[in-house]
Amino acid sequence: MLSADLVIATAIGYVGLLFLIAYFGDRQSRKGAGGFLRSPFVYTLSISVYCTSWTFYGAVGSAARNGLEFLAIYLGPTVFFVGWWFMLRRLVRISHDQRITSVADLLSSRFGKSSRLAVLVTVIALIAIAPYIALQLKAVTSSIQAIAGASEFSQGRLRGIDEAGLALAVAAGMAVFTILFGTRNVDAKEQHHGVVAAIAFEAIVKLTALVAVGIFVVYVGGGLESIFSNAEQAGVEIYSANTFDSRWFVMNLLAFSAIICLPRQFQITVVENSDENHLRTAAWAFPLYMLAMSLFILPIAIYGLTAMPAGANPDMFVLTLPLSEGHEGLALFAFIGGFSSATSMIIVESIALSIMVSNHIVMPIVLRWVPGEGAADGRGVSRLLLNSRRFSIILILGLGFLYFYLTRDSDALAPIGLISFCGVAQFLPSILAALFWREASIRAATAAVAVGFIVWAWSSFMPSFQSSSPAVAAIMAEGPWGLWWLRPEALFGLDGLDPLVHAVFWSLFLNSATLAIGSLMTNQSALERIQANLFVNVFASAGRGPTFMRGSAAANDLFFVAQRVLGDERAISIFETEAKEQGRTWQSLEPSPTFISRLERELAGSIGAASAHVMLSKVVSGGSVSLEEVMQMADETQQAIEYSQELERTSAELRSTANQLAVANRQLREVDQQKDEFLSQVSHEVRTPMTAIRAFSEILLDNNGLDTDDKGRFISTIHKESLRLTTLLDEILDLSALERGERNWENRPIDGEAVLEQAIEVCSALARQRGVGIVSAGRAGAAIVAADPDRLSQVLINLISNGVKYNIAAKPLVSVTSHTSERTYVIEVSDNGPGVAEAERNKIFDKFYRGEGVGASRTGAGLGLAISREIMLRMNGQLELVATGGQGACFRITLPVLETHTATRAG
Amino acid sequence: MRGKLESTALLLTLASILLIMPPIAYLFQWQARLFGVPVEVIYLFTVWGGLVLCSALLSRRLPPQTPPSGDDDGGSG
Repeated sequence: MLSADLVIATAIGYVGLLFLIAYFGDRQSRKGAGGFLRSPFVYTLSISVYCTSWTFYGAVGSAARNGLEFLAIYLGPTVFFVGWWFMLRRLVRISHDQRITSVADLLSSRFGKSSRLAVLVTVIALIAIAPYIALQLKAVTSSIQAIAGASEFSQGRLRGIDEAGLALAVAAGMAVFTILFGTRNVDAKEQHHGVVAAIAFEAIVKLTALVAVGIFVVYVGGGLESIFSNAEQAGVEIYSANTFDSRWFVMNLLAFSAIICLPRQFQITVVENSDENHLRTAAWAFPLYMLAMSLFILPIAIYGLTAMPAGANPDMFVLTLPLSEGHEGLALFAFIGGFSSATSMIIVESIALSIMVSNHIVMPIVLRWVPGEGAADGRGVSRLLLNSRRFSIILILGLGFLYFYLTRDSDALAPIGLISFCGVAQFLPSILAALFWREASIRAATAAVAVGFIVWAWSSFMPSFQSSSPAVAAIMAEGPWGLWWLRPEALFGLDGLDPLVHAVFWSLFLNSATLAIGSLMTNQSALERIQANLFVNVFASAGRGPTFMRGSAAANDLFFVAQRVLGDERAISIFETEAKEQGRTWQSLEPSPTFISRLERELAGSIGAASAHVMLSKVVSGGSVSLEEVMQMADETQQAIEYSQELERTSAELRSTANQLAVANRQLREVDQQKDEFLSQVSHEVRTPMTAIRAFSEILLDNNGLDTDDKGRFISTIHKESLRLTTLLDEILDLSALERGERNWENRPIDGEAVLEQAIEVCSALARQRGVGIVSAGRAGAAIVAADPDRLSQVLINLISNGVKYNIAAKPLVSVTSHTSERTYVIEVSDNGPGVAEAERNKIFDKFYRGEGVGASRTGAGLGLAISREIMLRMNGQLELVATGGQGACFRITLPVLETHTATRAG
Repeated sequence: MRGKLESTALLLTLASILLIMPPIAYLFQWQARLFGVPVEVIYLFTVWGGLVLCSALLSRRLPPQTPPSGDDDGGSG
């Protein structure tokens, strides 16, 4: 059995080793020699501070209790890193440009360098991280107890110390280490190369330890096959029925947000990043690291459940399995791995949080309450910053211990971590809005984060005290003051959800809704708009801040400020660079606006954007006034540009409208002219018979002495002319109705041959009367076409009677033939008359056109062919004049043949 | 070319979400084992490994980053 003394000595020795690595790492990078420390792989390994003792111990516990659920904690960040191009790259670039130091600084900087938001975010982070710190304390405490055992012999110095006392000792030790590690100096960019080196080292240690235990378990268990088979026989559930339920989704979402919202992850991934191209490696190497960490979790959990006695704490399987097999060396190594993962988390988290506390809470207070000259001794601000950070670290670990103490009855690790995840996830909507939504406003973001925090505190944080506080338990059961709809785990009566899903849903939903609706209802200040543009367009713009500090400032005042915050060395170097650029000695330096805003960014790197802004505003006179001026000028320019663009657009629209009008006008004129021509033709056609009728009726009226024969002749002429008139008007009406498509038209399957036969029959009387022979040779037999039989007959009669009437040959003959070919039915009506002159071929289908070469004895209005052609078109057929080479006229009708007799009606 | 690579990156990100979420993940929730391990475990780790591989291939091809302009004006930052 390992003794507690040995275990504690090993732990302290290990921390000493980490400290040495950090110390030499810092020295190397200060000398500029630490090239290796800036490699993408060290960067990737340091990101693995994400894998804390929650991963090392808790994931096995989670796998034993809830199956595959633990994987969600690593798949969410995998998605984030696979999609690094879209979010992480943006964050890193913005943070470099704006010298962002923390997640609070990011939000404050984006939303108009607001101190209030920064304070809010810092306070929330402090409270939300407390459970997470408590988790580490609990894991370290439990692991010491597990490995040192409960026997009197092995407890050594631990004899008589209970769990809480041990945790307090661990917290105190961690505080000391963190202060030693992280607060030795204030760096301009808040980068800690030494700490990063130590974290990278411990990343390798914890991975090796976990993999070693995993391989050992697989070996002892006789391979994966037998581990799972034995577990199944022992009644362990190895298939989880509902891995992919709502908890799966919610945990992925939480882990996705945690990888960037957790202060330590933001610190390591964004602030400590020294080269954007390192992201390329991290994009695959970090997911690979998490994959390797998760690989053996399930086998360890399953084997633990099978081999360990019932009631053993699954969170400690990683330690207890090697111990139970008697491998104390491996157990000690595993202990170091778990201890290492807890230590690194606490160190980085405390450093990140202490930076937030000192920059966003302590500094603004000092700036407000202590007069500028109060800390006149050169390094005053630097020392103040360091001291406030030391104090913050103690506060953070104190809060963690307090949470541990109050909730020490609950035993699983993972649920505690998820409470923290849910808390910091409240920053996600605002971060997303900061990166992608220009309209998001400070008031909405502040309200959103506050609302999310309150809902989280009520529905997720408070319930964790259920076991230690009867008051909380009562509220859980009945709601505060008996308000049932405010029960923390059934808000607004939303019952039956998993508590985690419930808390995440309500907090993030109300948070996002407040942000979205609030932003639409509020207006942004000038500075907010500037910052919003810088953030959203980070890759489009040059990335430099606006040079808005137009007011004047004495170089001495500026130097004094810079010296206070950055220390002598850096302040002098910045001023010397500027002096060299201006070509003066730096005593006679004239601070340009560019220089002032560059200085502001440098200061922001140390004390946060909001504090830096306040500090410089004090020194630079008229700074804020000129900012408003600049914004106004920018706005006016913008408006002028928009106005002129609008004018241009409007005039272009006008031009195109005018063009369209001209075209329409031209068309109208043409139509109008056609109408006029038609009308004059109609009047002319109507006038001829009317004149005749009038003349004859006047003769009849005036001359009573006419004999009966003459009277009869005149009256019959009047009758004939009025018949012609009626026919003419009928035809005009018919044609115009056809052209407008007004007539009810019914094409139905009919036999075209039958119609043709009938038409020939009708015309034969006229032909006999005129002495014209009708020859119908070569007929098609039967041809089913879709047509209106009356209309088709009208066309055929018109053609045949034309052939009969206008035939002036010596031996007049009209020949009718028909045949079907390739699905068309063709009828040809030809005669041996004078034919149609070449010049007239195009005109004979026009309205009122009558052949010129033929005798004047024609009747009819010249509408017959026009109507016939219109009818044929309506039956999907054609009427055309076939070239005959002067040998009479030949008209051809073609109609599509229907496939079968039952074919549907054609349209 | 840049547009295509960026689209591929977006597609890979979306695919990573789709593959680990229901309903696609449901397809692999069998009560069966492969190499002694439940199928859904094999599935999730295979997807994970595939994502690592695709991400590695894609990340180095994405267009180079111009160094952030903030870095060159801070003296010895």
